[in-house]
Amino acid sequence: MNTTNPSSPPIPPQIPPSLIVPGPAPLGENPGEREPIRSPIGAVEAILRQPRRLIFQLRQPGSGPLLGGMLFVAVVCSLVYGVVVGTFSMGPQVWAAPVKIAAGLMISALICLPSLYIFTCLSGSQARLAEMCGLLAGLLMLMGILLVGFAPVAWLFSQSTQSAAWMGALHLLFWLISTSFGLRFVHAGFSHSQARSRAGLCTWIILFVLVTLQMTTALRPLVGKADTLLPTEKKFFITHWADCLKAAPPAQPPMP
Amino acid sequence: MQTRLSGPDLGTVGAFLRGELSHLRAWSEGWQLGRMAFCAGVICVGAGLYGAAMGCWRAPLAALFVAIKFPLIILLTTLGNTLLNAMLAPLLGLNISLRQSFLAILISFTIVSAILGAFSPLIAFMVWNAPPMTPDPAQSAGTYTFIQLSHVVVIAFAGVAGNLRLVQLLRELSGNAAGARRVLLVWLAGNLFLGSQLTWILRPFIGSPGLPVEFLRPTAFQGNFYETVFQGLLRLANADQP
Repeated sequence: MNTTNPSSPPIPPQIPPSLIVPGPAPLGENPGEREPIRSPIGAVEAILRQPRRLIFQLRQPGSGPLLGGMLFVAVVCSLVYGVVVGTFSMGPQVWAAPVKIAAGLMISALICLPSLYIFTCLSGSQARLAEMCGLLAGLLMLMGILLVGFAPVAWLFSQSTQSAAWMGALHLLFWLISTSFGLRFVHAGFSHSQARSRAGLCTWIILFVLVTLQMTTALRPLVGKADTLLPTEKKFFITHWADCLKAAPPAQPPMP
Repeated sequence: MQTRLSGPDLGTVGAFLRGELSHLRAWSEGWQLGRMAFCAGVICVGAGLYGAAMGCWRAPLAALFVAIKFPLIILLTTLGNTLLNAMLAPLLGLNISLRQSFLAILISFTIVSAILGAFSPLIAFMVWNAPPMTPDPAQSAGTYTFIQLSHVVVIAFAGVAGNLRLVQLLRELSGNAAGARRVLLVWLAGNLFLGSQLTWILRPFIGSPGLPVEFLRPTAFQGNFYETVFQGLLRLANADQP
């Protein structure tokens, strides 16, 4: 049965106010967000406690020193974590692993930066390239400081296991957790760029994760030992992991 | 009711156990060496007594060793995860400082240790009444399982009580109930992850009659807890195959 009254004008159904998803509050609304960040330590504090303040400051003209400071923190933190990674094998790995990890992260970021800008533009974002650089620097810095937080746990495990495959899996887990928090920061910054869709950012996230995972294989060994500093054979990271798992010797039953 | 904000004394442990929020909050508000030493002292005494009760089934020397190792695990877990826990709290929506997160965890472990300490006479009595360990593991298997299960129950009870007080304190510090729950779960996961490995390294606790009494096994730093569990599961799965 048709219940529509043909005499009444066609009125579109009203969306109840509770169903309208409010966007994020404009940056700089809170006076605390306008306070400049003067040092790398201040940037670390801000990314943990006031990420909106950091995003706001990155959008201001002359944010270059802040960006440089963030990258500096990211490099230092990845070097520190790299030393912990290297202590599993000791020897040349103590210096090689930190150099490879820091360089790998920076190269991955550099490789992914153009695609980040392109994808955000395709999504209708108004963000400038400098802002995207800032978000990427924030991602690297947050990943780095979280990895340093995981370093004592990683060190303890590296001293008590002989399995490179197991240590690799543990580092991968810590890397995944750190990356997810870092990507959350990028997402928060992206939500203020008036983008129409998040599909571009989601695609870029997949790319970034794949690039960094492949970087761990391209710069191997990071955890174990090898005759050469860099690999002589090219492999996809999934193949490399499968080979590592096959090569891992079975552990002996421990003493209680 | 007026809450008495006392200095470090036995009344403080009572206030912690009752979950008097004003007290818990006041203790997490500043780096005061005396208060931190008091918490460390309660952990050493409480967990130490419990450790002694745990180890005394094997030998008096084992009781001494476990009395040292048990508080050590708690203190090392607190210290090892300090930085990580302090970073994760604001990222998960709880704006508390490194000091507050460290002291909140220290207080919760103080509560756990106080409960464990209170249970130590009961455990010691149970162990005293238990048949002694025999060189043949099959003979004392039933007693071993019973003692093991008793430890699981007591430690789980102490852990639950400590974490309930911790989540109350986090809620009080932040005014954010959902954030407090989230942070508690992540802290628990992190502390469990590190604590399990520390426990693995510092084994034995109950001990085995066929092996000597030692502070650390010669293989303490060989293998890790999760690897062993995984290998055990694999062996279990392969045992069914012809």
